[in-house]
Formats: sequence, C-alpha cells, structure tokens
Amino acid sequence: MKRRTAIGGILGLAGISYVSVVGVKHLFENKQQNRRMLEAHFDLIIELVDVIIPPTSTPGAKLGQVQDYIIDYMEDCSSSKEYTNFLNGLIDLQERCENTYGSNFENCSASQKKELLEHLDNSWNSKGLLMKINNKFLGRSFFTILKTLTIEGYCTSFIGATKHLEYLPIPGRYKAVTLLNTNQKAWATK
Amino acid sequence: MTNQTQKNTFDAIVVGSGISGGWAAKELTQGGLKTLLLERGRNIEHIIDYTTALKHPWQFKYRSHLSNQDLKERPIQSSHCDDTNKHFFVKDNEHPYVQINPYKWIRGYQVGGRSLTWGRQCYRFSDLDFEANKKDGHGVDWPIRYDDLAEWYDYVEDYVGISGSAESLAHLPDGVFLPPIPMNAIELHLQESVSKEYSDRVIINGRVANLTVPKKGRGPCQYRNLCSRGCPFSGYFSSNSSTLLDAHKTGNLTLRANSIVKEVIYDAAQKKAVGVVIIDAITKEEINYYATIIFLNASTIATTAILLNSVSPSFPNGLGNSSLQVGHNLMDHVVNEGTFGTYDGLTDKYYEGKSPGTIYIPRFQNLNRETKNTDFIRGYGIQGKGEREHWQTKAFVGFGTSLKEQLETPGKWKISLGGRGETLPNYENKITLDTENKDQWGLPLVKVDFKYGSNELAMMEHMTKASEEILSKAGFKNVGSYRTSPSPGSAVHEMGTARMGHDPKTSVLNNHNQMHDVKNVFITDGSCMTSSGSQNPSLTYMAMTARACQFAIKHYFSN
Repeated sequence: MKRRTAIGGILGLAGISYVSVVGVKHLFENKQQNRRMLEAHFDLIIELVDVIIPPTSTPGAKLGQVQDYIIDYMEDCSSSKEYTNFLNGLIDLQERCENTYGSNFENCSASQKKELLEHLDNSWNSKGLLMKINNKFLGRSFFTILKTLTIEGYCTSFIGATKHLEYLPIPGRYKAVTLLNTNQKAWATK
Repeated sequence: MTNQTQKNTFDAIVVGSGISGGWAAKELTQGGLKTLLLERGRNIEHIIDYTTALKHPWQFKYRSHLSNQDLKERPIQSSHCDDTNKHFFVKDNEHPYVQINPYKWIRGYQVGGRSLTWGRQCYRFSDLDFEANKKDGHGVDWPIRYDDLAEWYDYVEDYVGISGSAESLAHLPDGVFLPPIPMNAIELHLQESVSKEYSDRVIINGRVANLTVPKKGRGPCQYRNLCSRGCPFSGYFSSNSSTLLDAHKTGNLTLRANSIVKEVIYDAAQKKAVGVVIIDAITKEEINYYATIIFLNASTIATTAILLNSVSPSFPNGLGNSSLQVGHNLMDHVVNEGTFGTYDGLTDKYYEGKSPGTIYIPRFQNLNRETKNTDFIRGYGIQGKGEREHWQTKAFVGFGTSLKEQLETPGKWKISLGGRGETLPNYENKITLDTENKDQWGLPLVKVDFKYGSNELAMMEHMTKASEEILSKAGFKNVGSYRTSPSPGSAVHEMGTARMGHDPKTSVLNNHNQMHDVKNVFITDGSCMTSSGSQNPSLTYMAMTARACQFAIKHYFSN
C-alpha cells in the first residue's frame, strides 16, 4: 500500500509500475485454496474493527461496515499466504482469549479486548529488517493485515470519508497553498 | 461485388483511434477526405461510457484493489490499472503476446485507446533530441529538426489545451500554454532549494493536458485527479473528448469499432497500398476496405505487427520493409522506481483540490560541456509530486482513539520523485511475429525482445542518486528509494520500430512519415520515432500526425 501511494500518484497511469511486484507475486501464490472460511468469524471481525477504530465523536468502523470490506477483500483479493495468516490469526486470537479470559473475544470486557490487541500490535509492530523479510516471504502478519484493512475500509467508507475525514468528490478548483485551519481534517482522498 | 467494393472504399483509412489516430482522423476529415477509422476494440462514447467516473470510493466492492480473478485476467496490465479503471485495459489472457525478456505491453483496446488513460504530460522535443543520433552515432539521423515541427507543436497545443509555464529553456522549448497548475507549499520549497543549491537544474510546473481554463466547450478540470476513469467534465484531452468529436462533425468520418486489421493490401502493379483486410473481432469475418491513403496509428507494437504480417511477393519480409528495420530499435523510456522523503516544516500549510499534474525537473545532463556526464550519454528528466501524508501513506502507531486522531490529522509533507530517461535505439531490441502461435483471430502472436543496455542502467542508477541528493539538500528526512528495477515497458512509451530516416536502406519512413517503399502509407504513432528523447512522447506524435496529414491531403488533391 505504501509503495503504491508513494509512487502511483506521481506519474499517473503511464507511470511507474508500482504494483508490479504485487501482481507477479499473486500470480504464483494464488492457487485458490480453501476459501470462504471467514464468514464463520464475522462476529469476531466486527468486534475487532470496532476496537481498532471505535466510535468516538464520529462513528466507528463497525458502522462503516468495514467488516464486510475485510471479508470481501480477504476472500477475493488476498494472496494464499495472507489468507492463511489472517484465518489462523483469527483462530489463534480466539484460543488465546479462551485460555486467558475463559471467554471468546466478543464477550471480553473492553479492557481485555484492548490488552489482547496491544499484545498482537506489539509483537508485530516492529519496522526492522526481520519484519520486512517476513512480510516479503510469509505475507503480512494477521494484525498488520487487520489494521491495514480496517484503516482502508474505514477511510473509504461513506461514514469514514464523510464523517471522520473531509470528502470533497468534485473540488472544482485547486488551491495549491492554503493555511491549515485549526481542527481542519485531512482530505479523504488524494 | 462492385457495389460492395464501392461501399468499402474511402479516401483514407486510419488504423487505430488512440492519441495519434484520433488526430489523423480529425485532420483528414477536416481536410475533406472521406475517412474510415478502424479500431480493434469496442466503442467508448465520450462521458456515457465512463462508467466509474463518478463513483465514490465505497461504491467499489474491493475499493480500488484488483481481485484475484482480475489478476488472472490481467497479469501484466495489473501493474498499471486498478478496479476503478481496469475496463480501459485489455485482458492479457484474451490478448496474449510472447516476452523473450520481460516487457510490459500495456494496452487499451477501445475507441480512444490509451488516450483515455495516458499520463497527460506534454513536452516538446528540441534539437538536442533531433540531433542526438547524428552526434553520437547511435541509430540513424532524424530526417527532421525542431524547425520542421515547431509550428505543428503550436497547432496541436492550441487545440489540446496544455497547462504549463514558459521557462525559456533551449532544450525544452516553450509552447502554447494555458495557465499552469500551481505548485503546493512543499513543491515551492523544493523549487527554491533546487534553485539555490544547483546551477544546472530547475523545477518547473509540469506541462499537462488538463484544462486549467475552459476550452472549446471542454473543461475546466475539476481537480478530482481521477483522470484515468475518463472525465465527465472533459477536463483533459483524449481522442474521445476532442479529436473524434470534431472528426464526426465534418460528416466525413466512418468509425468502425471491433475491427482488427490483419494486413495492408499491396498492389505491385500500382506500387502502392490499396486497402486493408480486417477481421471483425466479434464475428471473425474478414472484410476488405480500400482507400487512396492509409495511416497506421495502431500504436508502436501493433502497427509493426501489421507491417510484418503484410507479406507479399514484393515485400516478403513485411510491408515497406526493404530496409529490414521494421520491428527493430524498440525503445521505452527508462524509469526508476522512485525516491521519496518527508519534511518536518510547513505544518501550517495545506491544499484544496487534487492536482492532476506534477512538478518537473527538465533534463540537466549532457546539455553542454559543463553538464557532461561521464557515466552515460543523453539524459533524463524527473517528475515529482508533493503532498501531505494521509491514511494511505502514513505509518500508524497503536489503535483506538489515538489511531482515529492520527487518521484525521494531515501528516507530514512528503515528496516523491521519479526519473524518466532516454533509451538508445538498438537493433537487437525488437518485435517479431511468432508464426507458430496464433491468437483467437488466427493472427500470429507478437514477440517482444527487449533489454536495457549499459547506458540505460547507468542512467537509472544516476537518477536515483540525484533524486536522493535533491531531497536531502532541501532538508527532507527519511530519504529513500525503491530499488526494484521496473520492467521495460513500464513507462508505456514504446517507440521506434518503423523509424524515420533519410535513407531508405536504413529506415522505414521519410521526413513526412511516409513509407520510403510505399508512398501512400503513413505512420505517425510511436513507431516512427528515430530516437526516444527523455520527454513524454505523445505531444510529438500528435504534432507529427498533423504535419503528415497536411502533407498527405495536399498530395491527395494534387493527384
């Protein structure tokens, strides 16, 4: 995603082939293995996205139907490696929940949910070389996928784009230099 | 039969409706010639068929991602399209070709071709480019110079509508410009820094075919930066928005979509081409069309394939190929993957609207003695864009309320730079036909055999280092580059496989884009290019097309 946005915008269509590596990678990886396994974890995914992007003064990810996007993306767009990582991540998380708190994630308290995700976040939130190598060969980790898709799903949802960010579909003009107002929100699209 | 032949006879045939074919159709029809425009892909009506143009992000099921099914259908095109514009890119599995070495052949088989999805950057060539081959001995000499083309650049720029700024640079001539798309705060900062730090280079407003003011009922640009979906506001130039509409208005245009040109028919007795054979893409029926003048504008590789497939006793190696140069000297601009950096200051500045343009650092190497580079000959320019980081580019810490705050706050300023350099003409880089393997219409598959040479690789290395230095000197942090080498073809600027030249023994076209061997066949797409320059080439194709059409029309009426 980072590669893509950093370069894609500059040169437009005829520009640099920013997704080329992804494209080729997918070709070799996507022997369609057993898919359609995520629907069974729908309730868990709903809870997860709403912990990552909770309702505050603006709606949270659940209301933005981010869970639907995540399932659609993972089922139809993800590589085999990442599908497996994601599915196993959901199963492992529930297991950890049961072992630690004696209940599934959905029924955990808010602080327990937070603690669980902090653990996942910390164990993967390193930017080191090892992480990069892992991402390249093993696919992104469960939590990285979950967080990335939640952010993307939310910011491109009607609610996320229009309520939490500033969505201007037809600017009509380009003011190249403006003064940033206090509390001015980031543009939803680039 | 005679009736049928009469019905299928026109003054002129244009093959291909992309950026150069659109111009040929416009000029020939406005010049009074009954013209048949053949397009192998489906019809695309301006605005009506831009089906995704006004969709919101949430109206795409996978947002902009391609699905695994899409990747299977478009394994090559997928690097250049996404879910919002993929319908303007071919399905590779329906249109296979053979890569001897990796080469991306990015294609848009529809009326308008790739003019719907092009990068819209428009830069004139100068005599630095037109004289390059002659001076350093690579390729053959261009049979034209800047003076031959200058008025035609004026002519097409005035029609297309190109925003840009006059800069008085000898090697990047000024043109007929609409007001430029202004630079944002970080771009201005970089511009100032470059002027201070370097004596050999400047940053200018990118010159793009986006209308900063209305023109001929088109535009202005609405600054959505969604050009590649097709523009319902006609905010940028495409065949569909402009040339084809004007060609239609003359009453002289017949547009036939779904028409794959199989070959050009050569009449040995008359020593000229008399028409083309098409295959209807849907019915697979073969039909002959006849005309006095034929323009091939199918795009470099496709035009070349048509020539190579037009075999007759007179031309056993393909139409107009007595030089044996047809298919050779394939070029594409060399691009690096890009360099980026973030900037801590200017946090009180932002922007409103999304610029479809870029900033541009015109070529600054090998312009004269002072700028001589010891690693490579010729040169490159750098395109760039600045923006504040946002949810798509930021790295986020944690989750929950703090993540939401990070999302809604504009991030640090960031600039990305990408170089684009000249590729030398090399006989070994070539297109041939695979007569063993045919496509679904029974036509031989195209084989592309292309490799960058040492000059291109040295240039690629240099553009990355230079970009990093430019950003570092301007106080950017986290400066880095993507190191993966992009596949040739990535710039989507294929050129050179039916080159212009003085000598029929070493070139395919003369100084009017007329085939040396077959005088009523003109080629004005990228295949005519004798050298590649470092500039985005579409503007030059357009100018060359308008010039060749004027020549062709004059001869049509004088004969």
